[in-house]
Amino acid sequence: MINRRQFSQAALGVAGFAIGAPAFAQNQPLRLGLLAIRSGVGAFLGEDSIRAVQWGVQRLNAAGGIAGRKVELVIQEESTPKDTIERFRHLVLREKVDAVHGLISTGVTLAVAPVAEEERVLLQCWDGTTQNGVQESMPKTRFVFRSTDNECEAVMGALLTVKHMKGKFATIAGINPDYSYGRNCWETFKALLTRYGIEAKVVSEQWVKVGTTDLTTNVAALGAAKPDLIFTSMFLSDLPIFLRQASAAGLLTNTKLVAPTGGGQINELRNAFVPEGSLLGHNTFFHAQPGASELHKAFVADYRDRYKVLPTSSADRAYFNLMAYKAGVEKAVGATGRWPKVDEIAEAIVGVEVESLGGRGRYRDDKIAEQFFYQGLVRHQAGSASLDFADTTAIFSDKLQKPAGADYWNWIKSANFPI
Amino acid sequence: MQYMNLIMAGLFQAAVLFLVACGLQLIFGVQKIVNLACGSFYALGAFFAITVVGLLQSLELPMVLLLPVLVLSGLVIGLAGAPLELLLRPIYRRDPSYQLLMTFGLVLMFQDVFRFFWGPVPRSMDSTLYTIYGSLELSGFRVPVYNLLVIAASLLIALALGQFLKHSRLGRIVRATAENRNITEAMGVNSAKVFTLVFALGCALGTVGGALVIPTSAASMTMAAELVVDAFAVVIIGGLGSMAGAMAGAIVVGLMRAIAVAYMPEVEILAIYLVVVAVLLFRPAGLFGRSTA
Repeated sequence: MINRRQFSQAALGVAGFAIGAPAFAQNQPLRLGLLAIRSGVGAFLGEDSIRAVQWGVQRLNAAGGIAGRKVELVIQEESTPKDTIERFRHLVLREKVDAVHGLISTGVTLAVAPVAEEERVLLQCWDGTTQNGVQESMPKTRFVFRSTDNECEAVMGALLTVKHMKGKFATIAGINPDYSYGRNCWETFKALLTRYGIEAKVVSEQWVKVGTTDLTTNVAALGAAKPDLIFTSMFLSDLPIFLRQASAAGLLTNTKLVAPTGGGQINELRNAFVPEGSLLGHNTFFHAQPGASELHKAFVADYRDRYKVLPTSSADRAYFNLMAYKAGVEKAVGATGRWPKVDEIAEAIVGVEVESLGGRGRYRDDKIAEQFFYQGLVRHQAGSASLDFADTTAIFSDKLQKPAGADYWNWIKSANFPI
Repeated sequence: MQYMNLIMAGLFQAAVLFLVACGLQLIFGVQKIVNLACGSFYALGAFFAITVVGLLQSLELPMVLLLPVLVLSGLVIGLAGAPLELLLRPIYRRDPSYQLLMTFGLVLMFQDVFRFFWGPVPRSMDSTLYTIYGSLELSGFRVPVYNLLVIAASLLIALALGQFLKHSRLGRIVRATAENRNITEAMGVNSAKVFTLVFALGCALGTVGGALVIPTSAASMTMAAELVVDAFAVVIIGGLGSMAGAMAGAIVVGLMRAIAVAYMPEVEILAIYLVVVAVLLFRPAGLFGRSTA
């Protein structure tokens, strides 16, 4: 026989289970799975992201966690699409994480995102998108949140080239990574120059394999072509190698440089081989942002103090997703009065504006991120080997990325750009 | 003069490729082993050079010594080939497939060695060292002096190796062992020691190549695989076992790549392998190789 009290407790438990609310888990830590690149040419991106999340989680936990639950991180490596899917499943099924953040490679995101939708697991991508080239392959996701379009930087780089360098060059050359990202950036740059009335002659197009460390012949080919301006969307360790060789070969003496993703290598670049006046992009985080927030200053100071290098945009993108998740969970908790289900959290994240390291950001209705982008002109400071920047411009990505459902190539022909 | 840029870039690549291919040829010529790990020794030389140069900088030694230090660091770490040769001894008289498997095993082992000692992230040395010797400018054409020094160093190493093999007593023993191991052993030569010496020397040529390229580049886990493809193209074009062939093959591959990258980058790899296919079809022993038929 059971008494009335035992019956009431059992009934409450059944009711809680029936509405899918893990009410009993509120005292448990919230487990956040991370999928980060940890080896190879992209390892620095993953490292930067993990450091920022750890920094953010430390502060969050000190302030009470997310909706009262402390956050625990479970880190797995992002590698090939196949292996990363296995690790994603491991995080979900074995580690029982509440959500997964991470993924930088678009190729990997394209493979993992459908699995997240199928498993009904919240997946927030740091830098990966589900675009096949510039074509969205998953226009209506329920649980997958994507980063800003990869081409935002090229759009902004082209606009600032028009602003700062129009009339100062007649021939251009490109040296870009040999995959869809590099090719789209180069095509974007040329298309926007044409749109703004710059009929520059293309004298060389160089395509570099990802991870290549030997660029001697590419530098020689560019030297033979003698362009007035070089555009590059290289952003891995190949960029400093290229600039070092190009500078030594005299290629950059009278040639303008536009590197809209170059800021990612800020710790490897030096005045000795990056000419003054070069346009460099910092993606969504500029370490020396004028009028930076207290959050930005605290992060840069802690990061420099601890790791002796500057943080890059990978840190910002990871931190942005942590804050968007926190805001979404707390909004959903406020709306439901209980611990929310995953689809309720996903719905709540959309549209919530959060303060990230690089400024405010949010997710659009189609679950694509919107953040500030930063680019500036290199300025050499006497007595300093490190790069300094002048005339830094910040543009919110709603002016740099195509609206939901739009055709990218048609959009850049007609969009109302801020410059 | 614009073509000089391409020629110099091609020759710089050829100089580094020659060293690695030369080591490959030497080991094959004497030990009859196709060393798939030649690219790994190249990468080992690159990683080790970064550590050595970093140490020199911390000791504030004059960096004008960069080139000799790089050559020396390559030679020192190349000695790692001597103990590794012991692993090959049981398979010298076995089917060549065992040799391929063993040297491929070395490639995999080296991946973890690099990861253990230098980490999974690409490493480079102080980015300003490449220009420490300045640049040479001639009527609109400019080339870093470092590139010229590497070409010169490679030529000097080739000459020294040639002199050693032709005129020294040890060199004659090496050549005799390459011709007929059984007869040289019957004449009292300790072929095991010769093999150890040759393998260490072959590896050292690769590690010196890796050390010399590093001021212009970065050391990464993938550099071994990238290089080995080119090195085998050099050997096929030049002829397996021929030093002169290694030089000719390296120049062909270096220049072909430079020209292809400048005028038709899409066919950069294809251009080299078209030459390889043509050589295999019309001169299977290579430009300087001896026919075994």
